[in-house]
This record gives sequence, C-alpha cells and structure tokens, in this order.
Amino acid sequence: MIPTRTLGEAAAEALQILRGQEDLLEGEAFVAANTSLVARVHFTSHIPCNGVEEPKSLESIGIGIQAAFRGADGPRIGFGSEGNDLTPEGIHRALLKARQSAVVDPEFVSLPRATGERRRLRRYHDPALLRLSDDALVEAGWKVITRGLDVFARSPELTRLAGSREAIPRLGLILSGDVTILQERIAIASSSMPDVQTDESTLILSGLTAMVEAADAKGSGWSTGTRLDDFTGDAGAEAADNAIRAMGGVGVPGGRYAVVFGRQPVADLLNNLVLPCLSLGSFYSETSAFQGRLGKRVASPLLTLYDHGALRGATASKGITCEGLPTGKTRLIQRGKLVGLLANFYEQQRILKDPQAAAKLGKDPRTAPKALVPRNGFRFGEGGGRRFEGPPGISPTNILVESSQPVSQDELLARVGDGLYVGRIWYTYPINGLRAGDFTCTVVGDSFLIQDGRLGSPIRANAIRINDNIQRVLRAILGITADRRETTVWAADEVIHAPEIAVTDVRVDAIAEPQGPAS
Amino acid sequence: MAAAPLTIELIGELKREVADDLTHRARRLGCRYADLRLEVVESQFAWAENGSCKQSGRDDALALGIRVIAGDSIAAPGYYGQSLGAADRARLGRVIRDGLARAHARALANARGKSASLAAFPDLTAALWDTRLAPVPAGRDTVPAVYDVDPRSVPLADIVALANEVGSALRAMTSVTYSSVGALTQISRELFVSTEGAVIDQTFALTQGTCYVVAQEGPVSQELFDCMGHQRGWEVLTRGVEDPPGSPLLSFPDFRTFATDLAKDAVALTRATPAPTTDDGVAVVLDPHFTALLAHEIIGHPTELDRALKMETGYAGRSWLLRSLDDTQIGKQVASPLLTAFSDPSLPGFGHYRYDHEGVPGRRVVHIDRGVFRGFMNSRQTAAIQGGEPNGHCKATDPSLVPLIRMSNTVFAPGDRDPRDIIQEVDHGYYLVGHKTPSIAESRENFRISAMKVYEIWRGELGQLFRDGGIMADSRAFLMQVDAVGSDFRLIPIPNCGKGQPMQTKRVGNGGPTLRSRAILTGGAA
Repeated sequence: MIPTRTLGEAAAEALQILRGQEDLLEGEAFVAANTSLVARVHFTSHIPCNGVEEPKSLESIGIGIQAAFRGADGPRIGFGSEGNDLTPEGIHRALLKARQSAVVDPEFVSLPRATGERRRLRRYHDPALLRLSDDALVEAGWKVITRGLDVFARSPELTRLAGSREAIPRLGLILSGDVTILQERIAIASSSMPDVQTDESTLILSGLTAMVEAADAKGSGWSTGTRLDDFTGDAGAEAADNAIRAMGGVGVPGGRYAVVFGRQPVADLLNNLVLPCLSLGSFYSETSAFQGRLGKRVASPLLTLYDHGALRGATASKGITCEGLPTGKTRLIQRGKLVGLLANFYEQQRILKDPQAAAKLGKDPRTAPKALVPRNGFRFGEGGGRRFEGPPGISPTNILVESSQPVSQDELLARVGDGLYVGRIWYTYPINGLRAGDFTCTVVGDSFLIQDGRLGSPIRANAIRINDNIQRVLRAILGITADRRETTVWAADEVIHAPEIAVTDVRVDAIAEPQGPAS
Repeated sequence: MAAAPLTIELIGELKREVADDLTHRARRLGCRYADLRLEVVESQFAWAENGSCKQSGRDDALALGIRVIAGDSIAAPGYYGQSLGAADRARLGRVIRDGLARAHARALANARGKSASLAAFPDLTAALWDTRLAPVPAGRDTVPAVYDVDPRSVPLADIVALANEVGSALRAMTSVTYSSVGALTQISRELFVSTEGAVIDQTFALTQGTCYVVAQEGPVSQELFDCMGHQRGWEVLTRGVEDPPGSPLLSFPDFRTFATDLAKDAVALTRATPAPTTDDGVAVVLDPHFTALLAHEIIGHPTELDRALKMETGYAGRSWLLRSLDDTQIGKQVASPLLTAFSDPSLPGFGHYRYDHEGVPGRRVVHIDRGVFRGFMNSRQTAAIQGGEPNGHCKATDPSLVPLIRMSNTVFAPGDRDPRDIIQEVDHGYYLVGHKTPSIAESRENFRISAMKVYEIWRGELGQLFRDGGIMADSRAFLMQVDAVGSDFRLIPIPNCGKGQPMQTKRVGNGGPTLRSRAILTGGAA
C-alpha cells in the first residue's frame, strides 16, 4: 500500500500549487489511499456452493481539491478530484476540475478552520492488517466457515433432527456473510491548516448468518476489531450456535408487547432512525424527528447516547476527520435530553448564519456552541474507506449507548416479565419519512419469548413485523443493560456499542406463514 | 508528459490489446477462466439546495475488475478491483498483469481452502463444488449509445443553471421549506473480455434528475422524493421523455415540471388527514408508480437466483420461491391468473442493455405467466447450479465490483382494463398513488410499502386525500387476490436499488399498470 509519507508529500505539493493560483482565496488538498479486502462467504450443505464465494479487493488512491476562488459575484467554491495520480500533473487536473466546477454558494463561510481542540489519537492502526496477504484474506474466510461447520458437525440436536450425522446436510445448513478488512490512509493540508496531517486506520469485521432451513432457524454472529490478532473466526461458531438454539421456533400473535431489543436491533434502529435525526444537516433541512428540540427531552431519562471518534481500541475510531479536525466525544442525548448534534464544518458554519436557526434547532446556536462542534466531517464510501472523490458529509463513528441506571440482562428480563426478546431485525425504514418517526421492520432471527422474566421458546424467523414510532419507543424505555458490545449494520460505517434495551408496548403484527414443502 | 484526459474513445483504442493481453496472461498463469471489465465514464452534474447550487462537476473515471477461476483438483473463484485514473492509460498493461496475478492467487488459495474443507468435514461439505459457468457463445459486439444531445457537449453552466432554476421554482412555492435538486448527464463505455474470446463494447448515455422536497404547514411536515431519467442525453431533462413516441412506456415532462408537480403534491399533503389503519384487508387500487415498486420488491428481488440459492442470506435475505433445488414454486400457482410478470432488458429506461457483465445477451425472463411461477433471473454460475440457459442478468455498478444478479426492467405486464373502471367498480376502498418507502420481509413473503398519496374510494369515486398511508400484506395472498389489471402500463426509473457486500446501489427499471387487490391499509403509528 502506498506509504502515508507519500500521501503527505502529495498534500504538501498540492497546497504549494494552490498557493500559486492568483485567484485563490483558500484551498484544501485531501489525499487518500484505501483498500477494502473482503472474503464473502457462502456455504450451503444442500446446494452447490463455493464456500468462500468472493475473495476480492477494491483499491482506490487519489486526491480531492476544494478551493474558493475570487469571483465577480463573490467567492466561487469548487471541488475536483483525480484518481491514481499524485504527481503534479494529477494535482493540476484535480485543480482544473475544481476551477471549472466552482459555483457561488452564499452559505459558504470558509474551509475548515482549527477548532482549538487537540488531536488525541495517533498510532492506533495495526501494521499486520496493512500487510495482509491474499492467502491470509482467503484463509480468514475459510476460518469462519470452519468454525461454523465444526459447531454443526458436533451438534447432537442436528444429529437428532436429521436422524444421523450423515443426513445432517439435508437439513439445509447455511453460512452466509463476510470477513472485511479496511486499510485507510489519508493526508490533508489547507490554507488555514497548512501543516500536513496524516491518519492511518485499520479494522477487521466479520458478520455471519447461519441457518438450519429445515427448522426455519436463523442465528447471527459477528466480530469487530482493529487488529489482526482480534480475529478468531468466532463469528462463524456464534452464528451456528445461535441457529441451533433457534430451532423449534413458535409464532407470535399480533398485539402490543414489552420487547427487549438485542444488540443488533439496537444498532439497526439507531443507524436507520435515530442517528440520521441527530445530524445537523437534518435540522437544517427540517427533516429530523427531533426538530426544534435541542435542549429538550426526546427520550427516556434512562438513555444516554454519544459519539466518540477518538476512543482508543474502538473499531470506528479515527485520529482526525476528513476535514483535518480532531475527533472526540460528542454528547448527543444526555439522560433523555437532546444536548448535541453530529456536525461537519460547513453545516456548523451555515447554521450559525441561518436566520431560522433558532426555530430549526430549538435554541439559538450561538448559545450552544458545545452542541455543534464539527467532529464528524467524513468522506466514507459505501464500501468503506475514506474517499477522495467528494467533499465531506456527516458520519457517526463509535456510538455509545449508556444508562443512568444500567441493569444486567437477568434484571432486564425480570423487569419485562412476559414479552418478546428481539435479536435481529431487517429492512428498518422510516416508512412515512424521517421526521414523522413511524417505522417498520421484520424480526428475522435470534429471537425468543420472554416468560416469567426468562428467555423461553425461540420465535420462528420471519414471523412478525414491528410497526411503531421511534419517538414513542425512545420515551417508553423500561431498562438498559450495562453490558455493551460493538455491533455493525450492513452497509453502515459506524459501530454501535450496543446494550440490550427493553421497551414497553411495542406494536407487533404476525406475518406470512412459513413456506412448507411444495404442494 | 501529462496524461490526456480520459474519454470513452479509450475503450475503442484499447479493446483488442486488452483482450489479447488477458487471454495471453491468463493462459500463462494456468487459469481455467478469466474475464475483465473496464469502463470509462464521462459525467457532469449539478446539485442545488433551496435554489442555490452547492456543487457541480465535470469528471471522468476509469475502473477495472478481474475474475479468475482456477485450481488444481478443484476450482474456485478469485477477484480483483481497482479505481484508476488518466495516468493509468499509459501503464494499463501492468495494471492488468498485476490485477490478474492477484485474482489468480486468490482463486488458488480459495481452491486450497475448499479442498481442505472437503477433507476436514466430508459429511457436511459434499455441496462444495468445482466452480463452473454455464456455457455461452463468446460474443463480439459493439453497441453504441443513443442520445439527441451528447452529454459531453452540454456546458456545465447550463446544468448548473437548470438545477438553480428548478430549485428556485420550488423555493418560490408557498409552504415548501426545503428542496434538494440534482441533475446528472453522462456517457459511459464498458468493455467485457474473456478468455473464451468474448469482446463486448457497450456505450450508454444516461441523464437523470432527482428531487427531494419538504413542505410544511403548521405542525405538519411532508417530505417527498422522486426521480426521472432515461438512458439518453441531456434532452431528457430539458424536453422530457416519451419512449416510444406516441404510446410511451416511459414518459416524463421536463425536469422543472416534474419537480414542481412533486412539490405541489407535498404541499397538498400537508393539508391532508393522516391515513387510517384498517384491521382487515380492504380493496386497494395501485397506480403504476406504486406498482413499479411492488414489482421491484416482491417480483424482482425474490426472482434473483443468487438470492434464491441462499447467497444473500447474510444480507438481503432469501426467496420464498425456492426452498431447495428440488423444492421450488416453479409450475405452481403463486398469483391471480390475471397476472403476468417478467424482466426484460430490451425495454427502454434504466434497465435497458444488450449484454450483461458476463457478456451474456440479456433476454426476457418470464417470472409469472398468468399466475404460474416460471423462473428466475440468473448468472452463468447460478444457471450452472440450477440448470438452464443463462439469461443475462448479472451486473455490477462499477467494474471494480463483483457482478451480482440484478433486475433489468422488472414489471407486471399490462392487462386490458381501463384504470378508471377499476376504480369505479370499488364500493369502498383506497387508491394509492406514487410509491414512497418499502420494507419487505426476509424472503420477500410479506411487505409494507408507503405511498405518496392515498385517496379514499366511495362508490367508485375518489374522495378524501390522506397522508402517511400505505399497505401491508403477505405477498402470495396479495398476488392471488389481484382481480383487475389495467391497460395503462408505465416504466419507472428506480435510481437506488441496494445489494451486495460492499453495497452496490444500482439503477434499475420497474413498472406495471394499475392493479387492484386487497391489503391492510396502514397509517402512522398510534
């Protein structure tokens, strides 16, 4: 992988070239090199398959230049990028694109300026992950499969269900998911922050779904980490264990239930419904479910939520943002009260000038500077990596969920009494728009009845749909566990440090009966 | 020496050399099979918020992807992908050599892993197979783009001006509090070559307009999003679309009219009552825009054979249409005899193409024929697993990404009923206009989809307008209860279908006519 030093040299050279432009007011050079290595896993015992279906990688290197040029109508702001060429020629091509694309933006104040906060995280990447070989990538995929197959092979439940060990494949065993390694290097320099800054991060994630199709049983397993040593393939074993545990699932009639949301559902609800509403951009466009409520209660007093991009050892940590600003802790919801928002520099500056800001936020932003610090300006791509091809948006990093009165899982279940434990949800969307808060999802696995304060029978996969409203759910929290686990959601960049959360009166509808044998 | 800008002509200049290079190098490495995709995209765009352009750009992109199947006693796949730039033009040979070597190394390592697993778990792993692809003739073809106004010829200032003009028109509307307007026009040229001798060179124009609008009246806020577009030039946004002329399957006004119509709907909805939720199923009539998303979610996705073969279990789920290779719904009644549904890349719009990203000619695939389930979209590998001919539905959003089975144009076929009669026959029910947001169960066996607008039908007449409404139903029951199919077929561009790991957000086409069935009407949460 291209050395960080080389990226830094390119950023410095780009800044030099920018400074030589007569009509330049200010400029910024962002240089990135990213590799995403993925071993996509697909094993089925009853249908021809490859096991490791796709050992693959995606590499991108390039430079993005954002510049403000002097114009007759005021500053003209433009962005241009060039891939795979960090030479002066490549820099000039990016600059030319930025010049050609420049437009007058009345809301533009300046490119990012130092906030006065200090960078806290350096030297946190794993060199071993940066040197990962192709063989090691493929081995990682087979490792999770092997761990899963080992559980299946040794399972007395499966042998009993199949009638013999040799007949187990006819049960329709599935292992599906991936091992993903991200290698990210960036360098950034600008007119107002001319000292070149660099950042380097690595992470390794694994998410597996296992099924015993004959029993309509599904289980999940996952792992996160920043070091190769963190990876054991356990996600495969966990998923297979959970699938076996989910055999014998029952249906659930529609109604309202006390529900314990497990870690994956907590992560899913936050990713799809809550975090988008905690972005300053949503408040600007008046689409947040928490519109106008900065400083006011939006959730149960039991809930505290914050973003922390500089947490050492946490999977989604970065040293600096893609705006060159330090990462850090941003309090979002404090004991139920909305106290802060995720922001980048552009959104922060324009809300400060917005004549309707007080109405949009619920208070004058100038009276709440700590609520709007730009610690989340990132350029994440859909496949991971810090992309050079565009200006920064707003993205969460590590999201931590806490309670003012945390409990154990046993206490939480006891508090519920009778209800449902929902371990995995799917297709969670704000069905009537983000601001309305209405959402729907289906319960697809890892779920159980709660009876007399204990986990009981598994719930059949894909048997129920949840239809509710996120504002109501956040206010109806019954309890939150102390234990948290790093949890990811498909196609999301943030990592949720998720506890289990109990909520009262969740609306549930029974859905399609399982498809039996062909009739 | 400075590199020349990337243009689509590069593909034409290099294709013979790239094809020969791949074949030669893959043979030397001992690959059983290899293919390579290369694409140049020249694009221009502008994006405006509240009538003020925030970003515009003129850019070019080059990317490459390689697949290898290799192995000694057993074969396995390996892949490599890379984003490139203008400077890579001069060193493309080296890029291909290095990428092919990486993909080959991964395939060999994968084959070793497969062999080891077979040895370690002989009782469980009989399904691990010797990777193969269903045979197809090696195609050689060049397919040009179709457009009136070349996307490359449009001054960027005109694109910016249009985005500003449309955004300003929305800003001037009472009760519109926010708008985001995007205009894009591009030309792309993609090359597919394989060690079987395929050389497929396809060029596509594409122009798209998107509009997101927020309206507010008192405490009521409504947000709507919609997209118009076609695989044509800039004329799509300035003049609108009628394809084919006279009796269009794909039809849009100019972009400004499209956006202001959407905004008018958003404003009207701020004054509407929230939709009720019914306890039981009621008669529902769906307009073609809503039907298009229904076709996408409960026909298109469950008929992707990779999903049906469990390959998406960890992500987007499975399909209720196939339980195992000898337990499927093929030949079974899954819908009303009035319903036929198919995927067809020969129809116009976002889902149109001649060859997929395995070089296979795309062809019509009938999924449901008068209510009976017939088959799936496939790829060469999944066709080899299930049996049957490949039907050319394997595509990636970028050559650096691995192709997956994706919809082309997946639609409900038109019927012969006048849509006005379909409404007039309803004593009490609801008419849903425009799709909004879907949520579908894991194997696509249940769905909830919200609508832009919901009208009550009383004695055959449209009545009250509701907001925040939609329908929920089990898919099979809904399809079986379709009792009227309109003659008013329309294709709708869907710009954001997500699939894969990493995620590939793809443009596809969907469509259908007015349909009538039964479903639970859903309002907001109590």
